[in-house]
Amino acid sequence: MSENKEKINRRGARRFLPWLIPSLFFFSWIVISAAGLIPTYLLPHPHDIAETAYAYIFGAPGGGPYAGRFLSDAASSLLRVGCGFAVAVAVGLPLGILSGRLSVIQKLLSTTVNALRAVPGITWLPLAMIWFGIGMKTTVFLVAMAAFFPVFLNAAAGARQVDPLLLQAGAMMGVRRLRGTFAILIPGAMPHLMTGLRLGLGISWAYLVLGELTGVQNGLGAVIMDARMLGRIDMIVVGIIIIAVIGRLADRLLQGGMRFCFKSARRLV
Amino acid sequence: MKPHLRAVALPGGKTKKKILDIEHLHKTFHINGGFLPVLEEINFRAEGGELICILGRSGCGKSTLLKIVAGFISPSSGKVLLKGKSVKTPGPDRCVIFQEDALFPWLTVEENIAFGLRGLGQDKESKATEVERFLGLVGLREFRDYLPRELSGGMKQRVALARVLILKPEVLLMDEPFASLDAQSREEMQNLLLSLWKELGHTILFVTHDVNEAVILADKILFMDKNPGRIREEIRVDLPRPRSRDGAVFLGFCRKLHEALRD
Repeated sequence: MSENKEKINRRGARRFLPWLIPSLFFFSWIVISAAGLIPTYLLPHPHDIAETAYAYIFGAPGGGPYAGRFLSDAASSLLRVGCGFAVAVAVGLPLGILSGRLSVIQKLLSTTVNALRAVPGITWLPLAMIWFGIGMKTTVFLVAMAAFFPVFLNAAAGARQVDPLLLQAGAMMGVRRLRGTFAILIPGAMPHLMTGLRLGLGISWAYLVLGELTGVQNGLGAVIMDARMLGRIDMIVVGIIIIAVIGRLADRLLQGGMRFCFKSARRLV
Repeated sequence: MKPHLRAVALPGGKTKKKILDIEHLHKTFHINGGFLPVLEEINFRAEGGELICILGRSGCGKSTLLKIVAGFISPSSGKVLLKGKSVKTPGPDRCVIFQEDALFPWLTVEENIAFGLRGLGQDKESKATEVERFLGLVGLREFRDYLPRELSGGMKQRVALARVLILKPEVLLMDEPFASLDAQSREEMQNLLLSLWKELGHTILFVTHDVNEAVILADKILFMDKNPGRIREEIRVDLPRPRSRDGAVFLGFCRKLHEALRD
């Protein structure tokens, strides 16, 4: 009995484990601010941050420079990330799976992909601004460009390492190529596919901010850039925290969605 | 030594239907720029409902032979005829039980067994009845919702059996399917296979290096030599069934084969 209780206690403790580092961080922040160890123009007090965040999220539009802008900023950022990531997945996933299985495709693509991969994502920014101007298209291009590689490379690795025995088993049970792809290859590669999608989505957020730093009107990255020019460090911190929270939620949503849609994601990952 | 072939007399003088015909099969592998003959002049036939064991030491090409019959690799020359028709690609008429675990790890026992039925155009109800029947036949009803990784080696091979038997293959090809099991599970699986065989009457080609296993199971043993692999002898095992594993006749038979295998 007591052993059981101990187990439950331990499990309870485990649930708090993910929050340990954020709360330690937060606590030391309060201590540092209260003691005045760092001037507020470098690190604002958590209280100010909370106030700014409240105004940004719940304030009436026009009540202050950033009041009530959250919804429209988040919406346009999500749209950009969504579009860019969707393009990366739509191109990267099928190409990756093909290149993992067919050596012709692998040979055809490997040099190009690896050369492009060596180019840092930020390098595309000037070119994208000339091609697409400032705003939606440039950001979507950057996000798609950055998210493509983890999606593609992991899909290829996943498709390559699917046990040939499983494909043979399928063949002897009368499974043809197309069905085999969906019934055996994709589920068998699922752990890698998931990794690729999650990495891709994560990097999408990074390049979103980069794309929005170039002077677009709205978006979470735009707000941060705007706040820097106005010297509103509190708003910068709020923007960072919001991106962290939304990024984490998006990752959970992606995992949850995949688990909901695919048995293999539920049972293998 | 020339491959030794002799006509097989069927018990009770019945004439059974010829199912599988292997004619003049050769297989040579290309390795490091050289040629390695693996199979040479393989000829044999299987009648409907016959249980044939291919017995030989490792490296004699017996697994290669099975893979050729399954259609996973093609012979250098010669033919595999199924009911008189030449076969070259894998198909559900020649199902394989692999030595290693080849179940789909993301599907439950029940879903694995039902896998091959998808796309066969049966209605849902008759599929469910079939799956139920084969779950029962291999004794896994209570484990229907388990995933392969939660099963023991013996249970996995039961699932592997059920998922192909449900497709009613003409020939069942088994590649040392029980070799990685412990002695007790192996015996259990052999008995299960024999009872399923009695009930369903499949033609079975069973590759093994285990003399006792061959003698317990087979109607006919194809005894293979290595380098290059060829059939040294076709041996009829006309011990009455069910065979006891400790009868003097059984053990004598095994001893003789053991000696032959050592040469």
